[in-house]
Amino acid sequence: MPEIDPITLSVVQGSLETAQREMTTTMMHTARSSVLNIARDYSNALFDAEGQMLIQGQDIPIHLGSLMPATKAVIERFEGDVAEGDVMYHNDPAHSGSHILDCCMYKPVFVDGELRYWTVSKGHVTDIGGPVPSGYNPEATEIYAEGLRIPPVKLWEGGEVREDVRDLLLANVRSEEDWKGDLNAQYGAVNIGERHLQRLVDRYGGETVDACFDRLLDRAESAMREELETIPDGTYEGTVPLEDSGHGLGEIEITARVTVDGDEASVELESPEQVPYYINSYEANSVSGVYLGFMMLLQLDPPYNEGLYRPISVDVGEPGTVTNAETPAPHVNCTTTPSETITDAVRTALEEAVPERAVASWGHTSGVNIAGENPERGTPYTTMVLASIISGAGAAHDMDGWHSRGPLCCFGALSSGDVEIMEHMYPIVLHRYSLRPDSGGAGRQRGGCGTIWEVEPRDHEMQVIMWGEARKTETPNALGAYNTLREPKLGRVEHEGEDGEVEEYRENAILTVAPGERARNYNPGGGGVGDPTTRPVEAVAEDVKQGIVTHEGAREEYGVAVREDGSVDEAETERLRAGRGNESPEESGPVPGGER
Amino acid sequence: MYRLGIDSGGTFTDFVLAGDGDVSVYKTPSTPDDPAQAVKDGLALVADDLDTDVPGLLADIDIVIHGTTVATNALIEHTGAKVGLLCTEGHEDSLEIRLGHKEDGHRYDMTYPMAEMLVPRHLRVPVGGRVLSDGSEHAPLDEADVYDAVERLREADVDAVAVSLVWSFENPSHEERVREILAEELPGVHTSFSVDVLPQVREYTRTSTTVVNAYVKPTLDRYVERVEGYLQENGFEGQTRYIQANGGITSSEGLRERPAYAINSGPAGGPAAGRHLGAKFGSEDVITVDMGGTSFDVSLTKDGSTEIRKDFDLMRYRMGLPMLQVETIGAGGGSVASLDRGVLTVGPESAGADPGPACYDRGGTKPTTTDALVVLGYLNQEELLGGRMKIDADASRRAIEGHVAADSQLDVESAAAGILEIVNKNMVDGIRQVSIEKGHDPRDFAMVVGGGAGPAHATGLADELGIGRVLVPKTSSVLCAYGEVVSNYKHNRLASYPSPVEAIDPADLEARFAELEAEGVGQLRAEGIDEADISLQRVFEMRYRNQIKECEVTRPATEITDEWLSELREAFDERHEELYTYAEPETGVDLINVESVAIGRVDPPDISGGLPTGDDAETARVATREAYFEETDGFVETPVYDGSAIPVDVDVEGPAVVEEDTTTIVVNPGWSARLDDSGVYELTR
Repeated sequence: MPEIDPITLSVVQGSLETAQREMTTTMMHTARSSVLNIARDYSNALFDAEGQMLIQGQDIPIHLGSLMPATKAVIERFEGDVAEGDVMYHNDPAHSGSHILDCCMYKPVFVDGELRYWTVSKGHVTDIGGPVPSGYNPEATEIYAEGLRIPPVKLWEGGEVREDVRDLLLANVRSEEDWKGDLNAQYGAVNIGERHLQRLVDRYGGETVDACFDRLLDRAESAMREELETIPDGTYEGTVPLEDSGHGLGEIEITARVTVDGDEASVELESPEQVPYYINSYEANSVSGVYLGFMMLLQLDPPYNEGLYRPISVDVGEPGTVTNAETPAPHVNCTTTPSETITDAVRTALEEAVPERAVASWGHTSGVNIAGENPERGTPYTTMVLASIISGAGAAHDMDGWHSRGPLCCFGALSSGDVEIMEHMYPIVLHRYSLRPDSGGAGRQRGGCGTIWEVEPRDHEMQVIMWGEARKTETPNALGAYNTLREPKLGRVEHEGEDGEVEEYRENAILTVAPGERARNYNPGGGGVGDPTTRPVEAVAEDVKQGIVTHEGAREEYGVAVREDGSVDEAETERLRAGRGNESPEESGPVPGGER
Repeated sequence: MYRLGIDSGGTFTDFVLAGDGDVSVYKTPSTPDDPAQAVKDGLALVADDLDTDVPGLLADIDIVIHGTTVATNALIEHTGAKVGLLCTEGHEDSLEIRLGHKEDGHRYDMTYPMAEMLVPRHLRVPVGGRVLSDGSEHAPLDEADVYDAVERLREADVDAVAVSLVWSFENPSHEERVREILAEELPGVHTSFSVDVLPQVREYTRTSTTVVNAYVKPTLDRYVERVEGYLQENGFEGQTRYIQANGGITSSEGLRERPAYAINSGPAGGPAAGRHLGAKFGSEDVITVDMGGTSFDVSLTKDGSTEIRKDFDLMRYRMGLPMLQVETIGAGGGSVASLDRGVLTVGPESAGADPGPACYDRGGTKPTTTDALVVLGYLNQEELLGGRMKIDADASRRAIEGHVAADSQLDVESAAAGILEIVNKNMVDGIRQVSIEKGHDPRDFAMVVGGGAGPAHATGLADELGIGRVLVPKTSSVLCAYGEVVSNYKHNRLASYPSPVEAIDPADLEARFAELEAEGVGQLRAEGIDEADISLQRVFEMRYRNQIKECEVTRPATEITDEWLSELREAFDERHEELYTYAEPETGVDLINVESVAIGRVDPPDISGGLPTGDDAETARVATREAYFEETDGFVETPVYDGSAIPVDVDVEGPAVVEEDTTTIVVNPGWSARLDDSGVYELTR
């Protein structure tokens, strides 16, 4: 093994980061679908020849865990059949994809005729065929009714695009033009990654570069081991409810059992039999959900690579269950629901293990997509509205949660998109995109606020397609935080008619909104940490001044009486807080995942 | 006649007087509570040195070029104006939602704090009324809302009001009506309108930039008035110019109209100086570093051009204006060393100029980087700045003993070496950000070093990064001020011009540019630039249909024709392929924004000649001192040279210390230094 000096090692690490970041920039700058170019719902990573992830970057957390098994599945599928200029494509969860909307491109990187690395770009496409634009079909009871499944295929061969395969893909989706542009964007991204890797090998030689990669993987592994070592040995359990978001089977539960032994951890998931509704998760996606639970508590410093996950083994449960779904289980909602429930089960187990590092959960995904025909252009449009799922972040020990950085599965990696850019791309008027008062979990440290998104179609009827959950179950709090005003903590969708009459939805449905009518999505805030009656009075008063907490919220949740002029009624506050001493949070409703 | 560059820093305010084949540099302590005072002090100092008074000095100066940090400091320290925001109802939180995105690099850090709001939520006042993307009015402006908002902001006693309405650049009528109402109702309150500051698409970027503009405006206005008032009182009849964040200079009117360009303008002189000096030594690839008392600025120039950024977060606030890319790290000569639960940290807290390092003996008791350099024998043990700053070496030792050494069971010298190691590592990280992390190997670059503190660290930093060539001008301590006197004038004029490229009417686009160019050229002419020295560039921001990020193509200002447009389209395909590996010649291209860049060329002052000659540096050797080097495993006898006596073109071998009037160059073991006839030391390994 060649001698590695620290400067070369840092340059190699820096080059990986740059390559990854530039792949991401390529997607953001050149893709066509708003899910990609506005919302940044994509992930890029670099792999070695065996499919070990060399750098994970700052993209969508829930994508990244599943890229590792997915790349290995593609490598295995094409073993012995990979040539320079080939590019593979794939979305099938049965081949370790996450969900069929996440379409992934893989480019083998050759140096001097030898296959050495892979560059990979995963992107959430706006549509994947099937009966419902945008792919979220609440009526699907099988994966076949959700859209196009793509097992690993070659989309480019020897540097030439296979037009027959591309035509097959494009014939099956709405927004064909955007799709075509998005394929080019992904192709640009994997080429950019390739260019950086080849430059690196030119400069330092393959042997040195590979030795650096091994060193970097080992370093990440030992960083994770050091963190796991600090958790007391034992088995910890977390169970989190998953609401009935429209399947009619009632609430179910997901349990994570985390066993920590020295510098290693193993996780077992348990969940009911898979359901005929799109909330089943295939293995790769469930594993990714588990990793997120560790990452949010352990808070390791970047850079991240596959070495991090070596000390964590995951058993996603019995085959044929919600967390280890098998064909033909429908699954399209899985990257948010139930992945966020899985992450929360792990988070809850770890909260018990290391309460001093506990963090509250972030608002789960509760949003909408839109579709229709652009009246001016006469062409169909459809898009996920990521702005609608930008919920509140959870609080930490010494800090209130960030407003509007959720949901839990993304940790702020998404982007809501600029109002003017959205109105430029789609025939809509966005009447509101603002913070939602009282939505943050009540705690000594308050959860961040969720958001309200309000839309009106211009001169056409628009479909508003609901997805996600968090409309019946509050965001889990931590370490004794609890909510008294439950309603503002829950998501919902409102359909307002021209006459001002409002209809409310708390289960996934597809609404038709006419010109002059409006749809409003409310999503949840983040969880709080610690007893809300110990929140400093002046912090509550400041929240009231800024309109983050209402007067009612201050009184009911925090026991703080704020007068109309903003001043604090100290005597009344003392009385309110004294009366709260032995109040049981159960009286104000169940507090999922929250301890007291 | 002379040209005077004045650059305000956190610790020192720097002066460069250039002209008639000569260049002189001066430094005076900054006065953070009243930055204009340091300008007055410095003018007095320069005048005194030339045996005249301030009016006498100013009579010999035709241009004063000033880099001010008052706007930057207001943003960093959150001491800007109390700003109210009038915005479209329903969009009052875009500043706080920040597109729902958490800054990259902090993805799994649950305790990374939120950015402080420049306009807190209760001062963001929504008003009814709505314009749509095609400029049509969906709902008229609700004037009652505007009057209510005025009442609320009057009660809150705001210093400035920012106005940014959705799609205002497509149809400014609502913003214009608000302008009229504010002029009547809140006279005397500063206002910033998004249609003036950044008339381009992206509501969040436009609102944030407008708010930042309003936030720094009152502070900047007060400052400019004070400085220019003082110059006028002393009979100054020349021009006063300011360096902007785009790397060019402008008049005070130009700056006060667009105060946001003053943010981060301080370090913008650095890249200009680096480019100028690198070119003299045949290098177009330079890393320019500038270590002052409080901060360390670093920029990278490749093939002679320094990167421009637009639509990015500056100090955590989104900015839409084009600015040079300069990274700033909290590491300087005044950075305070402290022991935090057994961990030694240096900076970002700075002792600044007041009280300054312990060795200045002005009441500072905390140990700083400068104190460590005194203990390590790098700096003169009795005085600096040619005797104008007395040094109390014992105070340095006491500070390090008391705050670092005692609790860490280290001797004072080892503690000082530790402080040096840590501050160097922080600066190396900053250089990595602009080089390694952007895919550039620093070993391929020359390093141009500025700042009073920089040259003492330069060879150490270069060793860490494998850089083999370091350039230190005698004027190093005032690098930005030096950059200011060699900078050109520059005015960017931005506009929105959304149109498919194939549908553009050449005459209409030409007319739009004519308007923008008339503004930029008019400004240059008003600033006294001759027609012959003006050059124009046209920037076209384009994208393939349904992309949302534009890709820039820059062209000289030649007449737009149909043929020219098809060339533009081809140039876009080429640029796209260069950046992203592919092009789509079959896909339609949309032009989104246009920008006119008007540049007024300035002849750099002649500053070579007059330096000593000789066979070796022995005559310049004035002392020896014990100095510490890691390579020598401790203190060694180190020769000390008087920089003013060192002849050109002779080698000074390290270890050595060269004392210049306003800086000290430490030549580490293994390095040698050689002075050229324009007063620049070239250090090589």
